[in-house]
Amino acid sequence: MEFSIVDRDGDIAVLRLNGRLNMVSAGRVRDAVATAVADGRSRVVVDLTRVEFMDSSGLGALVSGMKAARLAGGDLRIASPTEQVKLVLQLTNMDRVLPAYDDAETAFANA
Amino acid sequence: MSTAGASEVSILGVIDEVSRHRAIDELHLLESRAEDRFERVARLARELFGVKTALITLIDGDTQHFKAGPLTSVEKIRLEDSICRATIRQEDTFVVSDASKDVRFANDLYVTANNGVRFYAGHPLFAPGGEPIGTLCIADPVPRGFSNAERILLADLAMWTQNEMSVAQELDRAARVQRSLLPKQLMSLPGFDVAGGCAPAQAVGGDFYDWYPVGEGAAFTLADVMGKGIGAAIIAATVRAVLRSGSRHKEIVGSVDAAASILEGDLDEAGTFVTLFHARLDMDTGTVRYVDAGHGLSLVVFADGRTKRLATTSFPLGVDGDDTRREHRVTLLPGDTLVTFSDGVLDLFDGTLASLDEIEKLVRAAPNAQAIVDTLLALAGSNAPDDVTVVAVRRDR
Repeated sequence: MEFSIVDRDGDIAVLRLNGRLNMVSAGRVRDAVATAVADGRSRVVVDLTRVEFMDSSGLGALVSGMKAARLAGGDLRIASPTEQVKLVLQLTNMDRVLPAYDDAETAFANA
Repeated sequence: MSTAGASEVSILGVIDEVSRHRAIDELHLLESRAEDRFERVARLARELFGVKTALITLIDGDTQHFKAGPLTSVEKIRLEDSICRATIRQEDTFVVSDASKDVRFANDLYVTANNGVRFYAGHPLFAPGGEPIGTLCIADPVPRGFSNAERILLADLAMWTQNEMSVAQELDRAARVQRSLLPKQLMSLPGFDVAGGCAPAQAVGGDFYDWYPVGEGAAFTLADVMGKGIGAAIIAATVRAVLRSGSRHKEIVGSVDAAASILEGDLDEAGTFVTLFHARLDMDTGTVRYVDAGHGLSLVVFADGRTKRLATTSFPLGVDGDDTRREHRVTLLPGDTLVTFSDGVLDLFDGTLASLDEIEKLVRAAPNAQAIVDTLLALAGSNAPDDVTVVAVRRDR
C-alpha cells in the first residue's frame, strides 16, 4: 500500500491510497488520518480510486478515522470506491455512515 | 552402548526421557517434518558457518529425527550413531574439532564413513518447560576450530529455533481452545438438520458460529470480528459469551441490544467491530426471527425454487450511529434451507455477490446440512486468504 497526503483549502486533507487496504496497511492509514486531524486538518477525504481490495481491517481504519475526525469537529469522507470496496460497505451497512462521493474534489463541496 | 552408557541408564535418565518425550508431544513437532521456518534457520546456519551440514533435530527415545536441514531424504537416525547424543546432555554448546581423533566418536558410523564427519558443533534445544528435546548442530568433513563469536552465534540460532517451536505450541493451544468453543452437534431439534464449520485463515481467527437451545427451539449466531489472528479471536470469545448470556431476553432485538451495550466499551477500546447474524428458530412453526448487524450474507433457499437473501439493516456492533436494530422473520417449510456464512466464503468464488448464485446451487445440490458445510470448507482448503465460516439449517419435515 502506497499513499500520499495532499492538503487542500486549509483544513482539508486528501489521503490517496494505492493498493490493498487490509490488516497490513490499516494501521498506517489509521495513523495518517490521526496525524492529519492532530495537525488541524479535521476534514479528511480518503480517495479510494486505486484501492482494489479492502477487508474488514481496512474498513476498521476508515471507521476509526471517521471517529477521530468527528471528535475534532470535522469528518472523514470517502471518494470513488471500487466495486469490491462498495460491496464491503454495503454488506456491513456502513455505506449509510460512510457515503461515497464521486471524487476527492467534491467530497466536501457541500460543507 | 559403552560401559559408560550403561551407568547413564539411571532412574534419573528414565525420568529425563519421559519428560523429553512429553515435551516433544506437547510441541507437536514430530507430526510435521521440515517446515519452512525451521529450514530457514538450518539454511542460514549452513551459510553463516560455511559448513556442509546444518540440522535441527528432535530426540525422541533412541531416535533422532531431522526436523530441518538434511540434504538427503534421511528423516531419522539412531541417536547412538549421532554426536548429538553428547550435546543433548549439555547445557551449552558442544564442539568436536576432529571427531576422528576423539576416542568418544572415532568409531562412530558417520565418522568412519567415506567423507565422514570431522568437525561438529551442536547446541541443545529446550522445550518451554526446560526439557532438552533436540539440537541445532552443524558438521563438516574438514576439521576446524570454533571461535567464541561462533559459539555465541550458534547459541543465538538455537534460541531462535526454540522460540519458533514454542510460538507454534502457543498458537496450537489457542486453536484448540477456540475449537472447543464451537457448538457440538448434540442439540435436539426434531425435524431440523443443523451443521456448522469454521476454517480460520490462521491458527485462530475472528469468525465464530454458535447455537444453543432457547425455548421451543434454538438460537444461532454467526459473527465476524474485524481482522484476523489472536487479537480477533480474543474478542470473538468475548462476543460469544456475552451473546449467550443474552439468551434470557424474550425478544431477539433485546438480546442483541444487551450484548451490544455490554460490548461497546471493549470494542471501542480495542478499536474493532463485529458483524453479526443472530437468529432464533421456533421448531414448531419453522419461523426464524433474526437480527442482522452488518453481516449481510445469509440466504434462505426454498424448496419451491425461490431464494431470498436476508435483509441486513443494522450497523455492526462497535460502530455507533443512530441505529435501531430490527427483527425480521422468515419461515422455513420442509425442504427449505437457511445458510449464513462469513465474507471469506465469497472469496472462494469470484469475491462478488455473484457468488451467491453459486452458493444457492451448492445448497440445492447438497443432500443435507453437513454436506453444504463440508463442500464450502473443502473449497477453502488449507490456504484460504480469509476466515471461512458457515452455518446451515435445513428443515426436513
